Amino acid sequence: MRSIIRIATMLAAILLVACKGGNGSLLTGNNPVVPPLNTVALTVDTGPAGAAGAINHPYVTVKVCAAGSQTQCANIDHVLLDTGSVGLRLVRSVLAAGGVSLNAETDAQGRAVEECVSFVGGQTWGPVALADVTLAGEVAAKLPVQVMDDTGAGAPPPPTCGANGTLINGASGFDANGVLGVGVFAQDCGSTCVNATAPLSIYYGCTTAGVCTAENAALAVQVANPVAMFGADNNGIIVNLPNLQNANGDAAVQGELIFGIATQTDNALPATGFTVLGADANGDFTATYNGSTTVLPALIDSGTDSYAFDDPAIPVCPSATYGVFGGFYCPTAAPQSVFAVNAGVGVNNASSKVDFAIADPHTFVANAAAFIDLAGGGGSARFTWGMPFFYGRKIYVGIDQRTAGSYTGPYYAY
Amino acid sequence: MLYRWIKRAVLLSMIGSPLCAGSAHAGLGGDVAGALADGSELHGIVNSITLATYDIQEITADAGMRVREYVNRDGVVFAVSWTGPALPDLRRLLGAHYGEYAAALAALNHPGLHRTLQVALPGLIVESGGHLRAYAGRALLPALVPAGVLAADLL
Repeated sequence: MRSIIRIATMLAAILLVACKGGNGSLLTGNNPVVPPLNTVALTVDTGPAGAAGAINHPYVTVKVCAAGSQTQCANIDHVLLDTGSVGLRLVRSVLAAGGVSLNAETDAQGRAVEECVSFVGGQTWGPVALADVTLAGEVAAKLPVQVMDDTGAGAPPPPTCGANGTLINGASGFDANGVLGVGVFAQDCGSTCVNATAPLSIYYGCTTAGVCTAENAALAVQVANPVAMFGADNNGIIVNLPNLQNANGDAAVQGELIFGIATQTDNALPATGFTVLGADANGDFTATYNGSTTVLPALIDSGTDSYAFDDPAIPVCPSATYGVFGGFYCPTAAPQSVFAVNAGVGVNNASSKVDFAIADPHTFVANAAAFIDLAGGGGSARFTWGMPFFYGRKIYVGIDQRTAGSYTGPYYAY
Repeated sequence: MLYRWIKRAVLLSMIGSPLCAGSAHAGLGGDVAGALADGSELHGIVNSITLATYDIQEITADAGMRVREYVNRDGVVFAVSWTGPALPDLRRLLGAHYGEYAAALAALNHPGLHRTLQVALPGLIVESGGHLRAYAGRALLPALVPAGVLAADLL
């Protein structure tokens, strides 16, 4: 009788565990493998303390530990989510304030590995260091990150990096305590930095005397996409932000960043209505603007605060009367309806026409942080779908050579 | 006549005439000898392309780096353009005009957040864009651009 009860209890326990495991977890013995928590909060707000006033900046909090340490850790808030770049870059003074000191990697000659990265409006400079980075339940251990050296503790930048006040190592450079680059590649530079005959001016080896020489950097040394280095859920991300509650601007928007595509129940591929735009070897797909035949490299870029493209026919808002919106587009008859047509490169060669509108920023809610219908010029060589494109859409970013269902990266999709 | 003189100057500086090499001004506003010096600096090969109203000194270097220096009939570099996996040394390419460009960047609100940028000053127009793996841009001196040449031609 007792043995029957024992067997029944065991069966009940197994059934209970099996029911709990109904969401795709694997039952092995008595220990169901629960998939890691793969979402973090994503917030659009006005920015970190000390660098406020941000427009259309999406932020996450990243836990950063010195590699191998359980105690030298800090939760870095207001790290900018950037689908247009690759790699985690952190402001040194913010790390220090959190009690974290990351040591530079060294090259074969024992020199500190440092990096100069051009972000068009300026350059970041600082050492490449290893950190254990945690986002939700996902961990990237010994991840090469860039420490943006705003305190000058490391070697000074070479003369070609950030000359004449164009160094952007502090929180004011990005209006953020760091940049979480989760674009379509696993490393920031890739093969051109591995064995160039004349090393590019990107990675450097710096002596203790502070003399820095450009050098090649193997893939394993390069600053890496944290998502690509997770143990699981490492084939891409989904950015999920709701539409604005007030079409003229919200003070804050709450959404989520999801790790992995088609790896768990919360990141499934859509069954219909899915546009997948393959990216080229540089990470760009293409777009034409408003009926023009000029084919432009294009990105879906959470690190850009507006629709960014060149339209010489649209007046530019004057700074004198538009304040922070000076320099964006001010259509004469607002809102102005325009469109662009995206085309994927390679196998994922979908074509997708997207209509959008450009408003007059005078209609925007004062001091809000999130805006749709905001557009600005920036040059005729690219078309960029910045943050306005993200509101009310799920944006998928697929990493190079990683598969999700029938799709292989690199691609952007919606 | 002037054009033939320029061609000769190019040949002389390639042979290494100290007179010409010493007076080389690199980049925007500079001369052809300067353009060739830029080519050496980039460890690149220089190709001369002759067009109707201007010449292009095209520098092709490793890893897909390409710089073009556009020379008008007075022998002055009136525009430069670049494309490649890294940004070229703009201090050198923009020559005497780098300072005002850098000042415009330093005045930007939150300079980190640009994938494309346009700086339009009375004497200088710069378009710069891209990201790691793919940068492209151009800079020109509007007063020196030959008649009939559009910025869109200068890529």
